[in-house]
Amino acid sequence: MQLLDSYVKAVKLYLPRKQREDIARELSANLLSQMEERQEELGRALTEEEEMEFLRQHGDPMLVARGYRQDRPSLNIGIELIGPELFPMYLMILGMNLTIALGLTAVFVYLFKAPVSLQPFILPFLIQIFCVTLTFVILNWIRRKYPQPWYYPPAALSPHLPIARWHSLSGLVVWSIFTLWWAAVPYFPGLLFGTWAQGLELAASWHHFYLPVLLLLLAGIAQRAANLARPEWTWLLPGVRVIINGIALAMQVPMIHGFPFVVVNPAAAGHPLFEQLAEAYSNIILWGFLSWLWIYFLIGALIYARFCVPHVRRWLALRQHGTAMAL
Amino acid sequence: MQPSSSANELFENLRLELRRGSLILAVLAALRSEQYGYTLRKSLADQGMEIDEGTLYPLLRRLESQGLLTSEWREEEKRNKRFYRLAPRGEEILKQLLAEWEAIGASLEEILKEPRHATAG
Repeated sequence: MQLLDSYVKAVKLYLPRKQREDIARELSANLLSQMEERQEELGRALTEEEEMEFLRQHGDPMLVARGYRQDRPSLNIGIELIGPELFPMYLMILGMNLTIALGLTAVFVYLFKAPVSLQPFILPFLIQIFCVTLTFVILNWIRRKYPQPWYYPPAALSPHLPIARWHSLSGLVVWSIFTLWWAAVPYFPGLLFGTWAQGLELAASWHHFYLPVLLLLLAGIAQRAANLARPEWTWLLPGVRVIINGIALAMQVPMIHGFPFVVVNPAAAGHPLFEQLAEAYSNIILWGFLSWLWIYFLIGALIYARFCVPHVRRWLALRQHGTAMAL
Repeated sequence: MQPSSSANELFENLRLELRRGSLILAVLAALRSEQYGYTLRKSLADQGMEIDEGTLYPLLRRLESQGLLTSEWREEEKRNKRFYRLAPRGEEILKQLLAEWEAIGASLEEILKEPRHATAG
């Protein structure tokens, strides 16, 4: 009944805090009675697949929990931005991101002996709110436009739920466009600098991480293409993503040290406008992206590592079973 | 195809609305004798009143928070289960609701008996 426990835990995550334990206990007892009755009918224990099918029929943990919430908070400005199903998860992720971002900013402020003020905290704070809210607004829009159960399976149940093809396909399209852009930028600097390409060029440090980033992007595309063809390879997504996010995270320090990223090309050397533009571009890359991007890689790596655990457990169990059979 | 699917959706919404009130009545009536969530759902289904778990279990909690039901955790077949039964306040409300239900039923019967008048002109 390990799957049942994982399912109830997933429901619990979205339940009102005060009643969480009590509701989960009751839900577990009711589901267990139902499963036992099914087992009695069959005259044997349910297989893992049957247990999963039973839970799948019971419904998405997020929606099950929503039934118990009477407050149903949401983000609404005349039109619904984040619906009541996603809102508890939105608050949870936003809280986690803000805690990590502000906590680490405080550590940096301390380490670099910067003057104590609110200023260094404002940008990470606003960026986290903007990015997390935007992500959830898009997820909410997808939920409403293409309703389907089990959008966000709990980690323990994810090995049993094939990866939705629309999920792989949409990622494939978006990341292919971005990868093409990234691959083309060194050859067509106008894609990054527009009309200022005549006076600007990418600094030497850019070329050190250009290829590794390209390889990571290609790995992500390959994973999505493979899952589009084979949605049942549920291990591939967390496995590849944990590696991508881990490597991307490790690359952040050398990337940040690569500042400046944009320089004035020899043809425009000494031109004050291009000097200013080169500095502005480098600062945008550093403060607009690299200063916070690592938080997403860190959180991504942790989440995907968590999703790898049930696959590793299953693999170990299969291996043990295989050894036992051989003996 | 569009109008038909929207008509189905409309019917489904109206059906749910119609059922909502009757489900509460059915649950209160069924809990005149003590039951826990799963057996209650089964007994309702056996009597032709199918109710989704995602609707029933939260409904039981809501009725309890309104003072219409009482509940207690008790061990049965080596497992703890939460048993619900009608509270004294629930009994009163059930009586009133049943009277209302009968009145609505009688009125509807009368209305449905009336010959349909042509509306043209």
